[in-house]
Amino acid sequence: MKLQFPAEAEAVRAEFSAWLDANTPSVAEATVRPRSTADSPPWARRFQCAMFDAGWLLPGQPPEFGGRNASLLEQFVIEEELMRRRVYHSFNPQGLSIIAPSILMFGTPQQKATWAVPVLRGEKTAALGMSEPGAGSDLAGLRTRAVADGEGYVVNGQKVWTSGAHDSDFILAFVRTDPDVPKHKGISALIIPTATPGVTCRPFGSICSKDDHDFNEVFFDDAFVPAENLVGNLNNGWHVATGTLGEERAMLWLSNYERLDDVINNFGARVRGTELADDPLTQDWYGRLLVDAMALRLLGYQSVAKTASGHDPAEQSILKLFGSEAAHEATNRALETLGPLALDHTIDSAPYNHMNLDQFSASWFDRYCRSFAVTIAGGTSEIQRNIIAERILGLPR
Amino acid sequence: MELELDDDQRTLQETVRGIIAKECTPAFVRAVIEDGLDPSPWWDTMVGLYWPALAIAEDVGGLGMTWIELAILLEELGHAVDPSPYLATTTQFVPIVRRCGDAAQAARWLGGVAAGGITGALALGEHTVRATADDGGWRLDGSVAYVVDADRADEIAVVATAHDGVGVYVVERASAGAALTIDPIPVFDHTTHIAGLSLEGVVVSGDRRLGGSDLAEGIAVAVEEATLGWSVVTVGACQRILELVVDHVKQRHQFGVPIGSFQAVKHKAVDMYVAIQRARAIAQYAALTFVEDDPRRSIAVSMAKVAAGDCQEVVLRNGVQLFGGMGFTWENDLHIALRRAKLCVTMFGSTIEHRRRVARDALLGEGAA
Repeated sequence: MKLQFPAEAEAVRAEFSAWLDANTPSVAEATVRPRSTADSPPWARRFQCAMFDAGWLLPGQPPEFGGRNASLLEQFVIEEELMRRRVYHSFNPQGLSIIAPSILMFGTPQQKATWAVPVLRGEKTAALGMSEPGAGSDLAGLRTRAVADGEGYVVNGQKVWTSGAHDSDFILAFVRTDPDVPKHKGISALIIPTATPGVTCRPFGSICSKDDHDFNEVFFDDAFVPAENLVGNLNNGWHVATGTLGEERAMLWLSNYERLDDVINNFGARVRGTELADDPLTQDWYGRLLVDAMALRLLGYQSVAKTASGHDPAEQSILKLFGSEAAHEATNRALETLGPLALDHTIDSAPYNHMNLDQFSASWFDRYCRSFAVTIAGGTSEIQRNIIAERILGLPR
Repeated sequence: MELELDDDQRTLQETVRGIIAKECTPAFVRAVIEDGLDPSPWWDTMVGLYWPALAIAEDVGGLGMTWIELAILLEELGHAVDPSPYLATTTQFVPIVRRCGDAAQAARWLGGVAAGGITGALALGEHTVRATADDGGWRLDGSVAYVVDADRADEIAVVATAHDGVGVYVVERASAGAALTIDPIPVFDHTTHIAGLSLEGVVVSGDRRLGGSDLAEGIAVAVEEATLGWSVVTVGACQRILELVVDHVKQRHQFGVPIGSFQAVKHKAVDMYVAIQRARAIAQYAALTFVEDDPRRSIAVSMAKVAAGDCQEVVLRNGVQLFGGMGFTWENDLHIALRRAKLCVTMFGSTIEHRRRVARDALLGEGAA
């Protein structure tokens, strides 16, 4: 056991750090802000492309896909350095972290060139079409249907919670292609351009604001999708959905760590020098928060090490559950402790950071609300608990 | 960061588990509790295995291993609810001698522990015991409450204040005579010995005053080691409870199915598991800060105590609840581990005190204050 990373990994971190010093856009360049998670402003697209060209964007990939064949540990220190600086390497995070890697893993050479590489180079943005009104936690129960028709498929149905769909160029959608087999076995993954006739994206406001338009309902009415847009084999979509994240999954906990670290820093800066810093009740929850953040980091490091040595990280569920609930607790406590100081929802809770998503510096109320997104999206806390109970503790289904 | 046990450490863990499963069984621990069985033979077994010598330096006869290996052992001993003097000897007496003693004293007492000859305790009487020079030796007057193993340790390291400041005086219990009164407390954890100590003119020779430099720092760090020891033991006791509960909810049927298939049950069990993972990770991190002499050590220890305290709260609450009525019986081994886990929050600072210490360090920059 050691508290330090190996020297080779630290050398990569130093090299990347120097690159970021030289290439991160300035505040003046970054005045145009994104309005959704698929609305990447031109300056952000240029930066993302520069990351791609320098092999820092998806470091585990070969150079033609924006990487440098980095080891998992090297990938991790690169991610960690981005997190430490609060630099978003893409303002289309799902495109970069889920959709492009899925296409690189399961797609044809032509799909990689047409869809994945443009997403990575910041030329296209993408949205992920998974949840439906009737298929949330029970994702495999999805009902949007794709029926073979000549040289392609005709798609009918509806998706919901599709982040950034209205600003995206295409949706990686999971659709039912065989209704007569057990539900996991009749799903396929399709690339559906949002400009396709019959595709309608309708953004809706969130708990944070009526104008916070990231989530969409997406309707498919006889939308025709060419056969060449099928990702992976027909009826193998569940494999694509669950296998997409692979090694990337080993680092998802970093975003929850970032949330915790933000509350630690921003709340700390807000109360230092005031009587709240000396308040026993404040110290009680703030101390817990510091311990939570440390524990998340330690457990996260352990899961990275396990993944690197080829073990199946069932631990991801622990990190997701623990990290998201800790983030919720922290934002809840911060808001309550600040009392009337947290009332004004137009006042940012953190200094402006032009390379960060604006929601991370939003008001304390906004942050509190958004913390629910983390305990719900990507598998609710309840689902994570079921997974841990069954896969780790061995309790009966 | 490499936070995984290496192969040697894993082997040690398996070896320790195997030996404990044979030698420190639930039936043995229960006999200590119910029949007053003397646990000394188990201590002798540990001595034979060089377990007290584990983290003592090789030059005084120890095995020269680190806090990581010690923590592996302590967690398993917590799991078994070990009734021996291991905890106080290795995480209280050994650290104070190592950090405050000179070379000869280290050879004498650490060598003594390593060879299996002596057990030890630590009495923190900085504010309650006065030391006065007495014909080449020292005379100790005062009292210390709640000293672990004071009633059975061979040597008691007493922290006391003299005219020249704080010092540590090693008192041989058997030879102190009537000047030393020891009042054992009927502790709710029947396998842990805790006693009050009264010293009325206890005289120790000059070579029994620990002669190292920077005693205040040495005492502070020794207390941190003691605090980490309790934290690790708590993780082990909690792990035991989780295992008992998981077995139970797999076997217990109601409404025609194992109750472990109910989500309400699963989710409580998972919260226990997550709390243990959190506490174990931080305890290992704190142990690593000792190994690497990392400056975050002091706060890391408080974090470990916090995480252990949080852990026992969740594990005991959910653990008893998931056992239902069976969790409320004397017959169930659950309460044996529960007592050990609950003891942690009463010793070396409460969870809230340590949580506030962690926060004050961050908010007020008080460091190790």
